[in-house]
Amino acid sequence: MYSGLRLIDKKSMSITESIIEYKDPEIVYIPLVNHSNMECQSLVEIGDKVLKGTVIGKRNDNIEMNIHSSVSGEVIGFEEKLYLSGEYVKCVVIQNDFKEKQAELTGVKDKITSYTKDKFIQILKDCAVTGMGGSDFPTYLKYIGKLKTIIINAVECEPYITSDFLVAILKTEEILEAIDAIMEINEIDEGIIAIRETDYQLKDKFETFLGTYPNIKLVLVKDLYPIGWEKLLIKELLGIKYDKNPMEKGIVVNNISTIFAIYKALKTKRPISRRIVTITGEKIKKPQNVIIKIGTPIVEVIKEIGGYKDETDIRFIAGGPMKGETLPNDNLIVTKNLYAVVAISSSCFSSPITCVRCGRCSNVCPNYLSPVLIRDRKKHFNILKSLHPEKCIECGLCSYICPSKIDVRESVIEAKKEIRRH
Amino acid sequence: MKFVVDKGPYLKDKDFTSKIMKKLFIALIPIIIFAVYKNGIIPYQNGYITFYEALRPLFMIMIGGITAVIAEMLYVSLILKKREKDFFSYIKHSYALFPGLFLALILPINTPLWLVILGSLAATVLGKMLFGGFGYNIFNPALIGYLFVSSSYGQLIAARGGYLNGQELDSISKATPLTNISNIAFVGSWNEIGAEFGSLSDYFFGFIPGSLGETSTFLILIALIYLIITKVVKWRIPIIYITTVLIMTFIIGTYNGMELWFPLFQLLSGGLMFGAVFIATDPVTSPITKTGQTIYALGLGILTVVFRFLTPYPEGVMTAILSMNLLVIIIDRIGAKAKFSIKKTLLPVSIMIVTLFLISFYIGHHISPREVVDTRVNIVNVEKIEDKITYVATVRAFVGLIKAELILEKDAIIEINIIEQNESYWQDIVNHDYINTLIKRQESIEEVNTIAGVTVTADALKLLVIRVLEDYEERK
Repeated sequence: MYSGLRLIDKKSMSITESIIEYKDPEIVYIPLVNHSNMECQSLVEIGDKVLKGTVIGKRNDNIEMNIHSSVSGEVIGFEEKLYLSGEYVKCVVIQNDFKEKQAELTGVKDKITSYTKDKFIQILKDCAVTGMGGSDFPTYLKYIGKLKTIIINAVECEPYITSDFLVAILKTEEILEAIDAIMEINEIDEGIIAIRETDYQLKDKFETFLGTYPNIKLVLVKDLYPIGWEKLLIKELLGIKYDKNPMEKGIVVNNISTIFAIYKALKTKRPISRRIVTITGEKIKKPQNVIIKIGTPIVEVIKEIGGYKDETDIRFIAGGPMKGETLPNDNLIVTKNLYAVVAISSSCFSSPITCVRCGRCSNVCPNYLSPVLIRDRKKHFNILKSLHPEKCIECGLCSYICPSKIDVRESVIEAKKEIRRH
Repeated sequence: MKFVVDKGPYLKDKDFTSKIMKKLFIALIPIIIFAVYKNGIIPYQNGYITFYEALRPLFMIMIGGITAVIAEMLYVSLILKKREKDFFSYIKHSYALFPGLFLALILPINTPLWLVILGSLAATVLGKMLFGGFGYNIFNPALIGYLFVSSSYGQLIAARGGYLNGQELDSISKATPLTNISNIAFVGSWNEIGAEFGSLSDYFFGFIPGSLGETSTFLILIALIYLIITKVVKWRIPIIYITTVLIMTFIIGTYNGMELWFPLFQLLSGGLMFGAVFIATDPVTSPITKTGQTIYALGLGILTVVFRFLTPYPEGVMTAILSMNLLVIIIDRIGAKAKFSIKKTLLPVSIMIVTLFLISFYIGHHISPREVVDTRVNIVNVEKIEDKITYVATVRAFVGLIKAELILEKDAIIEINIIEQNESYWQDIVNHDYINTLIKRQESIEEVNTIAGVTVTADALKLLVIRVLEDYEERK
């Protein structure tokens, strides 16, 4: 079965002896945005005092998702700031008073398995747990309904990135405890932690603790990109195919960092206010992972850890080099779903030439599309429809493999929009 | 500070189209050298041709390539009006050399050089540029050139000696193995069909008549392995194409009592190997999807066999490729849909496979051996004197005809008198008392063993007896 390509690794670059925690910033910017750029409305005004965990915004549609403040302090304005999608979005600007006063004054729970399913979902809503692997998708939506299997995605198949790896290494016990609790609360029988077979360190770490949890097993998957993508991972692990949503088959897939956020939510009923971000790439002087307060402009952190090697022709990528986007500057706000920024040189590709129809893009597509045919048929709508460009997951392998260096993915994305427009 | 914004992914594979094309050229080098060696150097060393004539194959290949490049440059500068930077980047990425090169390699050695130029022009301009240039052509450009040359000037080339090089002209009477088999209606022994041109190893290594680049199956196989390992060609196409032809000709051969040499003969003669490895795999004119490539290759195999056996044209490869080129768009659409479900893959592929078998059996039946073999035995005279019937008949043997008198009495042959024969090893027949063996064992004649060393002569005699007995039965 085809599950992707082996790419260069470059992960060791950002793994360092110790991990630093960046000091809290004077001012935080909280973007009013949720999954796939859904704009959210602000619930505060200038001059309002907020606490850490105060709800300052919420989604406009019928999905319950709150935006929380990550510090205590005062709202001093609203500003458009750069978000990881490359767009400028409206942010609540909060002056930090460094008191870290909590909005929820609940103590730490000893036993996190005692919640009912309804209560569990309520906590996920209240603590605004969302997909931390980039999607920012409200996690509670994945738990509605009867579930059989939980898959913890610690595959992290994008090159360069190590933030999930570090969460897994540093918080192994907490994560296992959370998985166990989730399984008990949701009456899930099967728990699978998926890691890459080349992640020996992670394998050893999990195996040390797994003995206590007979229901949770560790499964090694091949070191291929994009095997960490939900649909492919499920097929690889369980041999199951689904149509739209893994919930159809009673499966829930969570990123390992999201599991840690669930742990925090269950333990303290508080949303996370910090996350690990991988700052790496050939252009970064000292690539490493940093724990950063949500709402911090990442440029401050980059300066703090030594800045750039040289400051010309940088590709500054929010996310991994395959699925991420280059940004016009580095004044990017850290959000829950920002797992990495990668700064690499911009002078490595030759310009595209004519397609020779070698068919490699068609061979590498993990979702069985024929990218170059989609590209050819952009104007023939009926044929285009039968080629299903809407199934594209934008993994980028088609553009990666193209020997003529054509940006095939971009053509497919355009075709996808064309289909949606009709 | 300068940030560059562009579209991802920001990692790219290290392979380039230019590298792919370079590897394709590397794969052709041994074949070009062999073409010069076999058609130039060997005949020159053996004193059949002059030194200038020995360089002819090299000239043909160079002229083919150079003409294609020049034609493309002129077209780009005069008609597309590209200048300076645009011009050079266009030329750099259009790989203009290949159509001309391929064309020269599929032409007979006796093609006049001016015709190579014309063909190469046709390949580049008609086959490629008019479609919009490299990457947009529907048909393989080299084949358009080939079609032009062979349809307009085929007679001319044949008159100049066709496929036979200086040395072959002296020793071989027929054009190519495929024209020979086509002439004798496809059924016969190895000696009738292929032996004149060389042994099976001559076929394999390429010392048989054929176009410049097509004869050495050995070198083409090495090229194929190299091209598959370096991921230059869509491997499904040559592998499935060749396998299809082998299976079909195996069925046809077996149906007509011919052994394993028959499919091998079909594989090793003509342009099948060269066409399958170099022409059918042209990325631009072949399908991009795996199922598409499978259907395409099956179609190529079927069409090649159909053209070889059911049309007056002995060679089917180039026509088959041109025909399938035309269908690539449709095939790819089937292939793209097939990627989404196994059912949509299996259906068209199994239809092709069923077609393959049906056509094989049809052809196998259609070229039934009887009518052909009858022409080998010729009954000259039948005379009835009292109880005895005397047949005078001839049979084609190793050297010319054997003429014999066969006398029958009471439904059986009682005497065979050889009237005339020129066989080289007749003494062996006499030593083995083969003729008397035939008379003694005429009831179970099919089981009479042949004689090693004089197989053809012995088989001819046996056939003579069989035919005469059959004829006698019919007359009763």
